Amino acid sequence: MTRSLPRALAVPWVALLLLPAAALADSTDIGSSGDLKRLSLEQLMDIQVTSVTRHPGTLLEAPASIQVITGDEIRRSGATTIPEALRLADNLEVAQKNSHDWGISARGFNTALANKLLVMIDGRTVYTPLFSGVFWDVQDYLLEDIDRIEVISGPGGTLWGANAVNGVINIITRSAADSQGLYAEAGGGTQPQELVGARYGGSIAPDVSFRVYGKYADRDEEVLPGGRSAGDAWHRTQVGFRIDSDTHGPDTFTVHGDFYTSQEGVPTGNAAQTDGGNLMTRLTHVFSAESDMSLQAYYDRTHLSDPIVPFILNGMELAPAGRAHDDLSTYDLDFQHRFALGSWQRIVWGLGYRLTQDRVESAPALGFFPAELNQNLFSAFAQDEMSLGSAWRLIIGSKVEHNDYTGYEFEPNVRLQWNGVPQQTIWSAVSRAARTPSRIDRDLAEPAPPRTPILAGSPRFGSEYVTAYELGYRGQLAPPLSASLSLFYNSYRDVRSTSLSPTILPLFFANNLEGHTSGVELSTRWRLTDAWSMRVGYEYLNEDLRVKPGAFDLNSALNETADPRHQASLRSSWSLPGHLELDMGLRWVDSLTTNSGPVAGRVPSYYDLDTRIGWRCTARLEFALVGQNLLHDHHTEYGFPGPDRIEIERGVYGKMTWRE
Amino acid sequence: MRVRQRYAAACLAAMMWSSVVCAAESAPEYQVKAAFLFNFAQFVEWPASAFASPDAPFAICVLGPDPFGPELDSLVRGESVNRRPFVIERYRSIAQLRNCNILYIDRSQLPDLARIRDVARERSILTVTDAEGGDQEGVVIHLVTQDHHIRLRIDVGAAKASHLTISSKLLRPAEIIGSGEG
Repeated sequence: MTRSLPRALAVPWVALLLLPAAALADSTDIGSSGDLKRLSLEQLMDIQVTSVTRHPGTLLEAPASIQVITGDEIRRSGATTIPEALRLADNLEVAQKNSHDWGISARGFNTALANKLLVMIDGRTVYTPLFSGVFWDVQDYLLEDIDRIEVISGPGGTLWGANAVNGVINIITRSAADSQGLYAEAGGGTQPQELVGARYGGSIAPDVSFRVYGKYADRDEEVLPGGRSAGDAWHRTQVGFRIDSDTHGPDTFTVHGDFYTSQEGVPTGNAAQTDGGNLMTRLTHVFSAESDMSLQAYYDRTHLSDPIVPFILNGMELAPAGRAHDDLSTYDLDFQHRFALGSWQRIVWGLGYRLTQDRVESAPALGFFPAELNQNLFSAFAQDEMSLGSAWRLIIGSKVEHNDYTGYEFEPNVRLQWNGVPQQTIWSAVSRAARTPSRIDRDLAEPAPPRTPILAGSPRFGSEYVTAYELGYRGQLAPPLSASLSLFYNSYRDVRSTSLSPTILPLFFANNLEGHTSGVELSTRWRLTDAWSMRVGYEYLNEDLRVKPGAFDLNSALNETADPRHQASLRSSWSLPGHLELDMGLRWVDSLTTNSGPVAGRVPSYYDLDTRIGWRCTARLEFALVGQNLLHDHHTEYGFPGPDRIEIERGVYGKMTWRE
Repeated sequence: MRVRQRYAAACLAAMMWSSVVCAAESAPEYQVKAAFLFNFAQFVEWPASAFASPDAPFAICVLGPDPFGPELDSLVRGESVNRRPFVIERYRSIAQLRNCNILYIDRSQLPDLARIRDVARERSILTVTDAEGGDQEGVVIHLVTQDHHIRLRIDVGAAKASHLTISSKLLRPAEIIGSGEG
């Protein structure tokens, strides 16, 4: 561990802040529009635009609680991973558990097996059917080439299907045409120890662009209480490519793929190993401005090999330590068609099919049975968007899915939007979404046979349901000030619980919880000057889950939630003369309750600060110095109190990038 | 670990000395695009009928969600063209459009393009978009982002249909499409 390094780095950092402006005075500052308008057309065409990010367009008018994180915001945040970038969304909870694992959720339910968020990268769903959650450690990309991340809190089941219960994250990378030329980055520091990445984009044929990229990153281990090393160092490598045809004709195609391998330390010593890859192709045909269709197909394979700790009950080892392996192949086919019906209706409908082939090699302490399981998921959806006069829009739609566990699921929604005043939107929605069973709910055996299971999945475990009521406002309060406010009330039924068998053991999963959550999400952006903007975010969440009358839960309704009641953030983004950028993000997260069985534990509230100083020294060369979690040597964001709970250390790193 | 410490230190050193290298030429996308809109006012000639009165202001309008933020407003503050002060107007739909000389069309408005085209031709409006894909026929100027730079594509047929005369200074650096005979 290099724990003395952060302090050593602090000194030159201050020096950099005080760097005399005189040294930079001769640089051409075209950071403000006043300078730009003095330029000739040819000079304007010579300017490199720092963000080719598409403005979110109609999405920001959508009647839902949406936040968009742009590529430029990710760059300026100093994030080195997608989960770190997601801290920029005011409508998400992000808790770092150790060097390589995060708990990420919207509107609560951020447990170790969080399962109510759907995550997609370029249209590819990345959740695991093992627990319907996301292994964040293997979701990576060259962050430079992420165009934007759209974060929707609230149900998205109608368009996106099961698991979009409390939110949807859409990670969208730039097209190959938008990522041409050479990009290279290299850096290092204390927590992110080594970061190396490169991309090259060119054209294959006159109308076909491509890019290839690769990255390697190495993250230092965190600490346990008392300062011992947690042994959770992380090394990951990813390569990929993307090919896009020109977007000017009626037919376009995209092919992309990624391949990765990752080694992750765990406190017990043995490292986990994950690797995998995916290949996606999408064809789009544009009939007219109002009508297009797309067909996409992808294949995704992940392999993970995890060390499993021994199963110990009351001090007795019931199963020794071992290793579990999981091999998952996903084949997915999606069709979507959009068209206008008359002058006031827009219809979008689609069909989908997914086959997952999952094969688990059980460890003595953890098993899934059947070891091999193939599952089919069929889906169809339709949504009608109606313009009622010039100010009102009404959206009605539903998805129907058929899965092998529970059969048909319906996920309808109704949304109403008012745009009577330009730049102001008021919306409301009622929707229903389902969380269908995952393998852990049905097929788990802990420990694995031939030992007698203590905890087991149940063939009777069914879907969990939410009915969500939402009301929101989004708009420009004054030219430099915009705000978004969402209120929600979610009513849940059939949420997962743990029951006793007639013979007491094994314990098994049932659907005995119900309850509601309610909350407020506020996000404001204030542009103080051309060069300085600030963002304030706040989220309030009230959760009230209880055991259904007459039913039983061994965990006293504690096992499905682990969420702060309040969280707040303040971000400042400042472009200084001399092409310096100074960004700061301060966050405060309220305490949260985690559990070990029916025993409640607590993660204390914390506040912390991330800072980045960037210097675009020429059009091509940029330096950045980033401090993450600067206010404490180490702090806890997640986990039941105990000697194994990992604390996240302060991190400082420097990075240089080259673009041409 | 010692090797890594040294590596990080070297990175920092690089950051310190490089203050002598400089002169960047980059700016946020919509700042540059706003500057282009401002520039178009100088290089295009509108017929007198395009203005309600001899002293009517010159209106740059944004149709659909505004990607420029306060950029356009601060750009034109205190500026004028042919003694007409600039005004910036924002419209949610083409039906609400009032006086307008340059119309930036957000991609969300492409479905309405046929109507926008008709209005633009009738009132001699210079239409500009940076939307990609879909039908953009009849839009006079396209702002195309290529390789992190903005390029111009000008449909001279569409300009003619709106009775606009485009200066050769604007045509020279642009890619010309359509036919002036149209």
